[in-house]
Amino acid sequence: MIGFAGLSHLGIVTSITTASKGHSVVAYDPDQSLCDMLSEGRTPISEPGLIELLTNSSGSLRFTPDPEALGECDVIYVSADISTDQDSRSDLSVVAGLVDAAVEHAQIGATLVVLSQVPPRFTRSVADIVARRRPDAGLHVYYQVETLIFGRAVERALRPERYIVGCMDPTAALPGPFEELLSDFDCHILRMRYESAELAKISINVMLASSVAAANTMAELCEAIGADWSEIVPSLRLDRRIGQHSYINPGLGLSGGNLERDLASVIGMAYEYGTDVGVVSEWVSDSRYRRDWVLRAVLSGAIEWDSNDTVGLWGIAYKPDTDSTKHSPAIDLVMNLNPIQVRAYDPKAILDAGSFPNAVQCDRAFDACQDVKALVVATPWNEFSEVDLERVRDVMDGDLIVDPFGALNADRCVELGFKYLTLGSPARKLEAVLHG
Amino acid sequence: MVEHGHSDSIAPSRVVVLGASGFLGRDLVRRLEVHGIPVLGLSSADADLTDISSVKTMSELVKPGDALVFASALTPDKGRDIRTMMRNMTMGEHVSALLDKSDFSHVVYISSDAVYADDVALAREDSRCEPSNYYGLMHVVRERMMLDTLAAQGTPLLILRPTLLYGPEDTHNSYGPNRYFRMAADDGKITLFGQGEEKRDHVYIEDVSRLITDVLERKSTGTLNLASGTSVPFMEAANIVAGLVGPSVEIAGLPRQMPITHRHFDTTALVKAFPAFRFTPLADGLKATWETKNGG
Repeated sequence: MIGFAGLSHLGIVTSITTASKGHSVVAYDPDQSLCDMLSEGRTPISEPGLIELLTNSSGSLRFTPDPEALGECDVIYVSADISTDQDSRSDLSVVAGLVDAAVEHAQIGATLVVLSQVPPRFTRSVADIVARRRPDAGLHVYYQVETLIFGRAVERALRPERYIVGCMDPTAALPGPFEELLSDFDCHILRMRYESAELAKISINVMLASSVAAANTMAELCEAIGADWSEIVPSLRLDRRIGQHSYINPGLGLSGGNLERDLASVIGMAYEYGTDVGVVSEWVSDSRYRRDWVLRAVLSGAIEWDSNDTVGLWGIAYKPDTDSTKHSPAIDLVMNLNPIQVRAYDPKAILDAGSFPNAVQCDRAFDACQDVKALVVATPWNEFSEVDLERVRDVMDGDLIVDPFGALNADRCVELGFKYLTLGSPARKLEAVLHG
Repeated sequence: MVEHGHSDSIAPSRVVVLGASGFLGRDLVRRLEVHGIPVLGLSSADADLTDISSVKTMSELVKPGDALVFASALTPDKGRDIRTMMRNMTMGEHVSALLDKSDFSHVVYISSDAVYADDVALAREDSRCEPSNYYGLMHVVRERMMLDTLAAQGTPLLILRPTLLYGPEDTHNSYGPNRYFRMAADDGKITLFGQGEEKRDHVYIEDVSRLITDVLERKSTGTLNLASGTSVPFMEAANIVAGLVGPSVEIAGLPRQMPITHRHFDTTALVKAFPAFRFTPLADGLKATWETKNGG
């Protein structure tokens, strides 16, 4: 039996995907209503493929608010998401509570695995708690790096690239049930000490953040010089040192919460331990600057704006295929455009009407374009690339399209007479194209 | 980040401008008067800020509830040495003393982009303040004087850091459009260092006064660069000036004395604080400058 303590996004996805592999799973959370909801086949989160897996795994998966159920388990994952505040500082109180529950109820010889994103030395502190409170229980403590990506969580959980496992003794074999579970997913298992695994998770995000910052820096230079970053990207991907899957598409800075949290962690640790972290601080600063690219693009041009004007906004979520708006640049844009009005549309995310008096949320993408002076495509949902741009042109009042991620067909936009702005290449408008 | 004390524009009861005879102060006083905002313009003839007696003099002229614009400084053309810096700081000291004794509703301190390090690629309000000259250093110190004095009493403060300003009544002869007009009109020749490659953001003086008026009416606080966000080479400005003054004006290059430095600004903070504000394009501002100089 595999147990999960904590049914946040991470716990829900991992418990369901583990059950889908044929394991018997019990998933604990103190929230009764959440357990009831999941037991009824509904989830509070949106992930492609999740509902189907939940439906098909219902026979081997049990949700319960009773922590004693963890006593049935050979392996118990502590799987709560770590929430962060406005300054990206982690709140470990929930995961600490779940660790307590797991330690208290774990059966003799069980394996406890901290799956939640925790700062270095946390897992060792859990091992110390176990040694103090259950000295004769023979419990094993591990840390396992999670690489959840919102919008691709199921795919990542079912087909992991590798497992990174933090151990008290990296040379010792993993306990049988834990080894069997991980082996079911058919990927490399990298064993290392606790602190290395905890820092490995952070290191992954630091490397991604560095890539993002570098790409944005060079993309902005392209805009100024007259180059096109999208022409450069394939050449970088073919360099093995950079790679096919590197994060080098330009964007609006870091969002979603995870990368920001890890950069804040690194800065905090460097401050505590006296290591140089200037470059990381610059990435944080860079991310703030990139976030406002759309605002600058909309307001710095030749358009005269007043409070009676409206901007159309496609996309509220921080990225496609999710309803999360955490650190979403679209949210910042709505706030900063005030008192300019905003007509917004998103396939999944909801705009809190009370918080944004200058915005209305529309049911259809076209409705968000009605009489607007400019259209911003803040989140590159696939459906936007299929919209009839000629119809958009007909209902819009102005001719500016700001499409940072290139979700729309740029050539078609220019043909239709739009002034088209996107990250990484100079502004395009038909007469500029005709006159070279 | 800039915050506004008023969600809508509310004119202050009166604005006191220190440095009212200077290039910026004069235009600001004029704009406030046109806008119907009562203004008291004070210059060194009214109160010499380098003298301690100015504190008493000014305190007897100001009223509770006045807004204050501190635009008085000895600019580099008046001296680039330690002595000038110390005189500027003494002025700051005396204005701080005035602030201590008075009950201003709002203070706007006119600083300068000279506070930034020369190698800052894109100057933001939180960019490194490592000035390479005494003028910039003086403003760093005076900003701190204003911050500390006013924080103690809770008076709202906005620090404005303008970049290169130009306009018809410029009292300085600093390198840039103001000097180009003089050279073109007087000598028929504009001389630039190198090929005028340095890029600078040029702001028309009337835009400065408009923005300061908006700041006063919104009771804005924080720190704000006053720049348009578009930097062009000195050569471009020189070409426009030459075109305005006459076809016979020549542009000549002189050997460089200093390495090329550029100055660009990230104007996100200004765009967020005043989304409807628009700067006069350089060509239009230079044309207006020339026409005013010629009595147009």
